[in-house]
Amino acid sequence: MTTTTFASRALIQLEVTRALRNRKFLFFSVIYPSALFLLIAGSADSVTKVTGTELTLPTFYMVAMASFGALTAVLMGNSERIAKERESGWVRQLRLTTLPGRGYVFAKTASAAVISLPSIVVVFVVAAAVKDVRLDAWQWLALTGTIWAGSLVFAALGVALGYLASGDSVRPITMIVYFGLSMLGGLWMPTTTFPQWLQDIAKWLPTHAYAALGQSIELGDAPQLKDVAILAVSFVLFAGGAAWLYRKDTLKA
Amino acid sequence: METTPVVEFDQVTKSYGDVRAVDGLALTLRPGETVALLGPNGAGKSTTLDLLLGLKQPDSGTVRVLGRSPREAIVGGHVGAMLQSGGLMDEVTVRELVALACALHPRPFPVGEVLSRAGITQLADRKVNKLSGGQEQRVRFALATAGDSALIVLDEPTTGMDVTARQAFWATMREQADQGRTVLFATHYLEEADATADRVLVLHRGRLLADGTAAEIKAKAGARRISFDLEAVAEEAVLRALPFLTSLDISGRTVRIQSSDADATVHALYGLGLYPRNLEVAGLGLEQAFVTLTAAAEEARTS
Repeated sequence: MTTTTFASRALIQLEVTRALRNRKFLFFSVIYPSALFLLIAGSADSVTKVTGTELTLPTFYMVAMASFGALTAVLMGNSERIAKERESGWVRQLRLTTLPGRGYVFAKTASAAVISLPSIVVVFVVAAAVKDVRLDAWQWLALTGTIWAGSLVFAALGVALGYLASGDSVRPITMIVYFGLSMLGGLWMPTTTFPQWLQDIAKWLPTHAYAALGQSIELGDAPQLKDVAILAVSFVLFAGGAAWLYRKDTLKA
Repeated sequence: METTPVVEFDQVTKSYGDVRAVDGLALTLRPGETVALLGPNGAGKSTTLDLLLGLKQPDSGTVRVLGRSPREAIVGGHVGAMLQSGGLMDEVTVRELVALACALHPRPFPVGEVLSRAGITQLADRKVNKLSGGQEQRVRFALATAGDSALIVLDEPTTGMDVTARQAFWATMREQADQGRTVLFATHYLEEADATADRVLVLHRGRLLADGTAAEIKAKAGARRISFDLEAVAEEAVLRALPFLTSLDISGRTVRIQSSDADATVHALYGLGLYPRNLEVAGLGLEQAFVTLTAAAEEARTS
């Protein structure tokens, strides 16, 4: 892994530079979640609890939107780029360098993580400054760490989609997965507002578990074992799928 | 003492379904050679290069590069390659991309040097996705020569370049060869092979049809052209009996012959008691030699 890390460093730097230059991508992953937060929670008071939870609207949506922003950064960033770069032959060209094959995936994931961190922090700052969300220091740190680390699950999903779809179909497929996971997972509205049958489905989605982890930290509770398990299983599935698709793609070249 | 071959194909076969793209290919490249790989479309050039670069695995046989597996050779930075199918990372500048290639090479050259050698110093701050086809090719060349590699592999390197750019390109490439590197390039511009390579490989249906200097390939193809006029309309049967004849074309008193041994053919011509006038003996271009060779192979296959 150390050689991968070393050889990938140059590529990670360039990937990050490129991502930071891409205004559209930055807007949707860093600015957009905070804007949505203000739009939804802007007029809410800090007392009323969100139906079925112990959280106020601003605290609920702060975690939901931070998770949403991280999801955007890692999923959208990875899948489309990988599919396009497979098609253009850049992935092939990289295989003629000393960069190990997995170094490419590693660099993609690492650079997505660099972008997802500000998308989380900006939502927190906006929530604290505008909506007076107050938490203990350990909670802020734990929230940032958990949401950031949890985004790896979706980074793996992004890689898998990038190797699954072709250049033309990757965008619609990613969009369906992205909106489906965001909406049904309760990142845009609490799943408690869903009809019961939909709630039964939603609670098994990794995005639901992802936001639930953050929300239990806000309540000062230990995370639900079920949520941790859902995320762990999802990660194994997505990363396993990505590895399998990657190997298939490499053999086909 | 025998030096380690730079490239060694030993009875390599690769099929796609029923199609044998590479069929029992045996091939050795020695250090310092500049080798052109020729062949009609579908001859197996791209597959051969993919096998050489470890992008594909042979069904049978072995491919060695500097005595190692192709992947090991690439990881060691011993091979620099530009592929036709190799894309570029977009939305970064030419300089950034070349700097990346240098950073990934274990024995890199300075970025500025790589840029100037590839003739893209002026393009350094341009975004990669804003380049013309010929400019992109030069960037690919820069990526292939970012560090000190023993073998340089170029797949149709001058595609999309105009004549001036092409000449400049080959001058640069000859510098690479002069520094002792082995250069293997696939091309369909036969004059490039003729002018640049000291060895020409002709692939046909995944097999090596010819292997030698450009002059030898021309000779192998029956590659000298004899033309002359006779006093009377020639008798075909008489001329047909000439030794080393590979083709005969009579139009009135003018005769055009291709011969694999022009000296012997002309000698025999006089021996027949004929008096050829305006006699010309000329070499075939590599292009004609190539067409003759592949057409003959195709004929042999179908008959």
